[in-house]
Amino acid sequence: MLEQPEKPDKKTVVVALAGAPNVGKSTVFNILTGLSQHVGNWPGKTVEQKTGIARHNGLTLQLVDLPGTYSLTANSMEEQIARDYLVTEKPDVVVALLNAASLDRHLYLVTELMELTPRLIVALNMVDVARQEGMNIDVKALESALHMPVVPMVASKNRGLKELVEVIAQKCTQAVDSPAVGHVEYGSKISGDIAHIEGLLTDADTSPYPRHWAAMKVLEGDSQINKLLHDRLSQDRQAELDSFLSDKESAAITLAGLRFDWVKNVLSSAQERPAIGRGSVTERLDRAATHPIWGLAVLAAVMILVFLIVYGIGVPVQHFLQVSLIERVQTLVFDHAHFMPGWLQSFLGNGLLGGVGTVLTFLPILFLFFIAWGLLEDVGYTARVAFVTDRFMHLLGLHGKSSLPLLLGFGCNVPAVMGTRIIESKRARLLTVLLAPLIPCAGRMAVIGVIAAAIFGGQAILVTAGIIAFSLVVLVVSGLLMKRFILEGERAVLMMELPLYHEPNPRTIGLVSWQRTIAFIKRAGTIILVVSIIIWVLSYFPSGSIEGSVLGHIGRGLQPVGRLMGLNWQLMVALLTSFVAKENTIATLGVLLGREKAGLSQALKGMLTPAAAIAFLVAQVLFVPCVATVSAIRQETGGWRWVAFSVGLQLILSLSLAIVIFQIARLA
Amino acid sequence: MRSERVEEYLEAISKRQKTEMPVSTSSLAADLGVSLPAVTDMIRRLEAEGLINYEPNRGVSLTAEGSRAALTTIRRHRLWERFLTDILGLRWDKVHDAACRLEHAISPDMEESLASLLSYTDTCPHGNPIPDKNGHVKDQDVRPLSEFEVGQKVRISAVVKEDGRLLRKIEKWGLKPKAIVKIKRKDDDGTLELKLDGQKLLLDKTTADYLMAICVSPGEEAADEEIPMSKLQTGEFGVLKSYTGGKEMLGRCLSMGFTPGSTVKMVENFGRGPVLAKVHDVEVALGQGMAARIIVTRMNPQC
Repeated sequence: MLEQPEKPDKKTVVVALAGAPNVGKSTVFNILTGLSQHVGNWPGKTVEQKTGIARHNGLTLQLVDLPGTYSLTANSMEEQIARDYLVTEKPDVVVALLNAASLDRHLYLVTELMELTPRLIVALNMVDVARQEGMNIDVKALESALHMPVVPMVASKNRGLKELVEVIAQKCTQAVDSPAVGHVEYGSKISGDIAHIEGLLTDADTSPYPRHWAAMKVLEGDSQINKLLHDRLSQDRQAELDSFLSDKESAAITLAGLRFDWVKNVLSSAQERPAIGRGSVTERLDRAATHPIWGLAVLAAVMILVFLIVYGIGVPVQHFLQVSLIERVQTLVFDHAHFMPGWLQSFLGNGLLGGVGTVLTFLPILFLFFIAWGLLEDVGYTARVAFVTDRFMHLLGLHGKSSLPLLLGFGCNVPAVMGTRIIESKRARLLTVLLAPLIPCAGRMAVIGVIAAAIFGGQAILVTAGIIAFSLVVLVVSGLLMKRFILEGERAVLMMELPLYHEPNPRTIGLVSWQRTIAFIKRAGTIILVVSIIIWVLSYFPSGSIEGSVLGHIGRGLQPVGRLMGLNWQLMVALLTSFVAKENTIATLGVLLGREKAGLSQALKGMLTPAAAIAFLVAQVLFVPCVATVSAIRQETGGWRWVAFSVGLQLILSLSLAIVIFQIARLA
Repeated sequence: MRSERVEEYLEAISKRQKTEMPVSTSSLAADLGVSLPAVTDMIRRLEAEGLINYEPNRGVSLTAEGSRAALTTIRRHRLWERFLTDILGLRWDKVHDAACRLEHAISPDMEESLASLLSYTDTCPHGNPIPDKNGHVKDQDVRPLSEFEVGQKVRISAVVKEDGRLLRKIEKWGLKPKAIVKIKRKDDDGTLELKLDGQKLLLDKTTADYLMAICVSPGEEAADEEIPMSKLQTGEFGVLKSYTGGKEMLGRCLSMGFTPGSTVKMVENFGRGPVLAKVHDVEVALGQGMAARIIVTRMNPQC
């Protein structure tokens, strides 16, 4: 599963990092590996895999970040990946990262991990938060109760990580004291049942899983193991197993109960708890943040603040880059590079700079938005967003978790589509993927801003707000319609942890935002570049000017449709090129209407009536997802089928609604 | 010391007075299983001793002294019943007759020792109150089950007729004191349709007359009643008992820490929309539907 290091070195130690979501796993991982990490997907899965290298005293640690899981029963893809990795790759050391403030809960994972690996280290993160919540942990007592090393740390303040690396180094140089894995004492009843199942499995191949472990999982009713064995067991044995299991339905509950009992026992000597009933800091903060009314007010305030900051800083930067970088170089290319052939000038100036260049000027806005969102994620607020929006998402048959990728979509639809991975149900994920491109992203907002300012002057803000509100209404209505077909009969079930609030770690936020931006640049650098070139070719050949080009012809061919919404062929071409990237609409119009400063605004005023302008904005904001989003949809839905659906849906929505609005607006 | 016979009469009149005032001689004859002339005979004697007032053709009522004497007998009877069930381990349907004999053969000192041995318990095994030394009976807002209305949720507090066969029947139906029932239907002839632990039960009016019950106000259900977690109010605690969802739901519940026996704190529940529950020190957001499928019992935060 893992990429092997080039030179298999004796001193390379594979360290797997296990832990529940929200325990600060990525913070620990990022600090240990810095930028030397590889982000990809687990083979064949849409679950992110991160690996990286850390060095310590001549020892090379290869770190593998396992997906965040609460347990190792195959309830989700993440849990399956984590346990399969432990079983098949047998990492040298497994670090269980636990939240010190909710050890009671997090030690459960340890009870499952210790059944799969003998070399386990417990890293206790957020001991500061635990103290703040009134819990004191006696590390020595915990170590002796668990029979494994325990390292207390505060990853967000870079405390305790050095010690962790030292303990890892120590652990892997030690001979394994007992190669056998440990487990919780299950009592004679359950142990007997496991032994009986193990007996039934003697002839069956349980690999890669240890037989004893497989027997326990069978007793727990683990669907994946059952499926695996179903193909490998003889029919008689299968029948025997089924009849043995028929009255063992509560075994999963009993096992889970025993594990929690064990945890309670371990903690009884090692943890000092606050009196029950005392409200924690988090509970007090949540009284506002999760309140049905105040919670929405808090959410609205937070989102407004995010947009004010992001656009307040981002838009001037974007403008600066556009004017003093892209346009200056364009001028250079067109006015001073006469030694180049005309097509090259056009290619560099319009194709590259106008296309990809313009897209890249939006990076600061995106990056800022990702930072703001990363901050909200890191302090633990986004989980509250899911909570307060849950009841509204229920209207669409979705639950609160879906609102997180959708909100991220206001920055860029690409991470929004990829962000749907947090939703457990496949169908709910699909619906969210299809809704995400209907969120007006930063690129579309920029187009709306420019055109509204040109046509409506002082009322531009109102028009912009109206268009955004309209696109959200379309989103809700499409969601209501699609839910019938996509979610048929499925119930949205929300069940998610609300992590304790904690201080944000700038490093983690920076890294997460950087990775999201890089993911976007990679797409911009490949797909957007390719499509930009194709569009340029279409707009240059055969005549050398856009008017006589293939694109020009296509635009004119679309004129009958355009006329229905009051748009001429140039605007139809601009709409088409927004497929490359939404912000390209402006660049295309610049090329088509002349590049003189202020000329664009004047030219727009000359050819767009207010009714046509509204129709154009509606068409633009709802038009087919950009190529980067399309490729993300393909990746997340695993095929072209839903891409075709999404593109078709938005094409129909955008054109038909624009026509209707133009016709009504003209009458009014 | 008064004779056994006198005490029996006073006890019977005292019990009857709860529903009938004054008590007619014929009901008395029925309760004691004696003939009408015998009753009339005894009434004259009791009246002469100043223990009762007798209004011819209407009936009898206890005087203050008679009442005190009756309560003492009742107290002794019920203490003995407790002794027989709790200390000797007899079944609740077998103790009444024995207690009827024992109640007369006891001195005030013995009565006090008996009460102390039983930790001054205040009800008999059938749920009826034991008067204290001074003849005070703890006031309780109890009424016969037959008097409650459809839709009311009540807790059975006592069985007033201590007949062995009736008691065995009641035990079989699960209607022993502390049971909580909901009245689903009431027929014209007084037959009740009850809901008990999700089961339907038909009860004739006579039996319903013998069962004393008390209203359970909404929200104040008995501590051991199993309720969906979504019924827990903000700030309340519960102990998880079971699930009513499918297998997939079970897996998710277990991995999120909702295991039977865990203590759950309802951090936030506005009745609509998702709820916020704390289990194993982790706050978990749950949809109402999900919370409704997790069954808990309420827990007192002091425990």
